[in-house]
Amino acid sequence: MLSKTSLPKVFTIPTMGILLVLSMVPTIFAVIIALQNRVLGQPEMDFVWLSNFIDLFSDRRFLNAVWVSVKWEFVTVIATMTVAIVLGVLMFQYASPRMRNFYCLLFIVPVLLPRVSAAFVWKFAFHPLYGIVTYPIRAITGKPVDLLGNANAALYVVATVDVWQWGLLFAVIVLKLLETLPPQPLEAAQLDHAKGWQIHYFITLPMLRAPLISLTFVKMIESLRSFDLIYVMTRGGPGVATETLDMYAFSQGFIEAGKVSYASSMAVLMMVATVVIFTILWKRVQS
Amino acid sequence: MKLDRILGNLVLAIFGFIALFPLVWTALNAFKKNVDIISKVPKFFFTPTLENVTYVLGRHSVMAGLTNSIIACGTSVLVGVVLGLPLAYAIARYPNKWSADIQFFVLSIRFLPPVAVAIPLMVIWLQIGLYDSLVALIVTYSLITISVTVWLSIPAFQRVPKEVEEAGFVDGYGAYAVFWKVALPVALRSLVGAIAFSFVLIWNEFLMALMLSSTNAKTLPIVASELSQQGMNVPWGILNASVVLLSLPPLLFLGVLSGFLSSAFTRRT
Repeated sequence: MLSKTSLPKVFTIPTMGILLVLSMVPTIFAVIIALQNRVLGQPEMDFVWLSNFIDLFSDRRFLNAVWVSVKWEFVTVIATMTVAIVLGVLMFQYASPRMRNFYCLLFIVPVLLPRVSAAFVWKFAFHPLYGIVTYPIRAITGKPVDLLGNANAALYVVATVDVWQWGLLFAVIVLKLLETLPPQPLEAAQLDHAKGWQIHYFITLPMLRAPLISLTFVKMIESLRSFDLIYVMTRGGPGVATETLDMYAFSQGFIEAGKVSYASSMAVLMMVATVVIFTILWKRVQS
Repeated sequence: MKLDRILGNLVLAIFGFIALFPLVWTALNAFKKNVDIISKVPKFFFTPTLENVTYVLGRHSVMAGLTNSIIACGTSVLVGVVLGLPLAYAIARYPNKWSADIQFFVLSIRFLPPVAVAIPLMVIWLQIGLYDSLVALIVTYSLITISVTVWLSIPAFQRVPKEVEEAGFVDGYGAYAVFWKVALPVALRSLVGAIAFSFVLIWNEFLMALMLSSTNAKTLPIVASELSQQGMNVPWGILNASVVLLSLPPLLFLGVLSGFLSSAFTRRT
């Protein structure tokens, strides 16, 4: 159809070259640093090969961080998708077109906030003495509750903020997806007197299987970026209750000991795990 | 039937409230005196003060952070546009055996854990002597803006009707002129959405900025987070005001992004 042109090459090669350099250099360097024993501010270093990685597996704080990250991933992904599907279906079912537009605007607002802002907004809200969310509990029991200082509750409080940002946005996307479906199957089901939830459970949601799986995939990737929320809200505490892998890598590399190599070995493990897992998942989603 | 309608609308209204109320409350607190914030019972009525806002805007560190944020975000978004849009167009219009792999590679940049990128980059920038400079931040951020721009612009270019572009060829345009004079203007509205999205993402970025800057290149999110560590006597009003300042720029794009979402999901077949 098109005559020969240099456009594809000219438009592809420079950008791909830059992307490859910008992504491969840090990746290769991360591996090299992980095999050394660098400490920030100290010039001497040696290759220690795999000893950082071996140390990791006897480091209880590392194992705890792996567990916290896995919990975080499950809690936030499942809660986000649940909130999104329930709210999306409710909007589709019950809201007038005008209200739908209104809710869509409203539900996009939280995700636009910088994570640092979102974290502060909710940190104020959960403040044991002056917080607006904790106010009813204070008013009834007369005692302050420190949910962010509670080892059992803190992770879930932080997860709430994540779901507040992403679940509401995804609800808008679920609504848009529902609106793109052909109306005939829905009308047929209504003629058969199917109930609202039956229509969605048996007809619409199965029709949206592929895009919903892609959404879940996107959320799984985004959930890995929880550092800013946790950094502002709990700094990994109380104790190590909310210390995810990136938080632990950060504190090993920068705050506590400046053990850059040790931190990098953690980061490399994370990188390998995420690239392998997501590549497999992505290929599956595509096929 | 009637009952579920009422219940459904009630749930929606509650979530609408949850979406906005914490923000409204923070904005209100930005205009309160400290005594009004740390009262036992939340105060909805108070005499507003501009003290917090003027304090925040008057601080040197805040203004420096704001300038850094604007320069770093603006430049890297521009780099993303200049390099990303052509690549997206080439993938959308001239698919070949590499296209799927390129698309996957661009997406896979999102898989990289930010710490895994930030640690080696910190070591590299330290060695070159560019640590804590805007150049380092811009180069790092460009990786993100290019990949986001490419990823979101491919569908925007694919939605440009082929016939429009063919008409351009018939009129005697070459491939570059068709891109510049036909595809870009037609796709412009969706492209603006994609670009706005990459801006918001970079404006909100925290971890890289935290690890790649120490004094000179700090961006606004870092400055805002540091305000919270000022001793025991927490300046609540000031904190709230700085949160509001930090949140305003991305919120300006609310309209653009909601339009982008609608157009991205309605023209499926």
